[in-house]
Amino acid sequence: MRSSLDRTFVALGDPARLKVISLLRKKPRRPSDIAEALSMSRPATSRHLRILRQSGLVEEEPGDEDDARVRMYRLRQQPFTKVRVWLDEVESFWNDQLGAFKDHVESRYGGHGG
Amino acid sequence: MSGDQARVSVLVKVPPDVAFRVFTEEIDLWWRRGPRYRVAGKRAGTIHMEPGVGGRLFESFEATSGASLVETGRVLVWEPPSRLTFEWRGSNFAPGERTEVEVVFAPSRSGTQVTVTHRGWAAIRSDHPARHGLDVGPFLRVIGLWWSDLATSLREHVARAHPPPDE
Repeated sequence: MRSSLDRTFVALGDPARLKVISLLRKKPRRPSDIAEALSMSRPATSRHLRILRQSGLVEEEPGDEDDARVRMYRLRQQPFTKVRVWLDEVESFWNDQLGAFKDHVESRYGGHGG
Repeated sequence: MSGDQARVSVLVKVPPDVAFRVFTEEIDLWWRRGPRYRVAGKRAGTIHMEPGVGGRLFESFEATSGASLVETGRVLVWEPPSRLTFEWRGSNFAPGERTEVEVVFAPSRSGTQVTVTHRGWAAIRSDHPARHGLDVGPFLRVIGLWWSDLATSLREHVARAHPPPDE
């Protein structure tokens, strides 16, 4: 079973889907707008949106239940937050290390000016 | 702040040449100890960084099976006193997987600004624990060369949605 973060990156394993994400960063859009902006066919756009939706990267905005063509798609926050959380952990690791480096180098070699 | 990278900076009150020398030559003296920071964990061990391009960053320690040596990576850029880059491979990364750490030593009025940038996390498969014991679940995965641009977008996106409390 793949982890959700794993699925996130698999879903992003396609340049066209990256473009969709990039577009939705600015604002929610309808599938037809996405197709037009990216010069993609409607079926291709639908397929990419489905994969992105299944991976949890995008979601449909609540709206007209009867007409899928006018539904807006928007980014979901959570998968992106996971990436951020990971990088925060790496930064925490290096923060500890640089703090230790500072203590060491200044206690031994501080006072040289510079 | 951008890309699939972590960046951390500190100001030290010594000149760049001292900072560079101590960062590399005395790495074992300042590198923190314990399982979060070292393969040796609580056992006694030593971290070495061999000078020059191609030099190894490795840890040596006594294991139950005898002397053990774990290489983290090779030096890629060696430009004292201003820049140092080395590979960073976790002990259980798959062959070919690596991340990269760049350390920049920039002179400042009161000493040296030391900035560490750890990049390439997107290229790491998701199903192994982090080498230094970070428990954050899945790693990032190979998704291609265009990752970098995307990650930048993601990060900006997240930063806008969740601004750090201290900024």
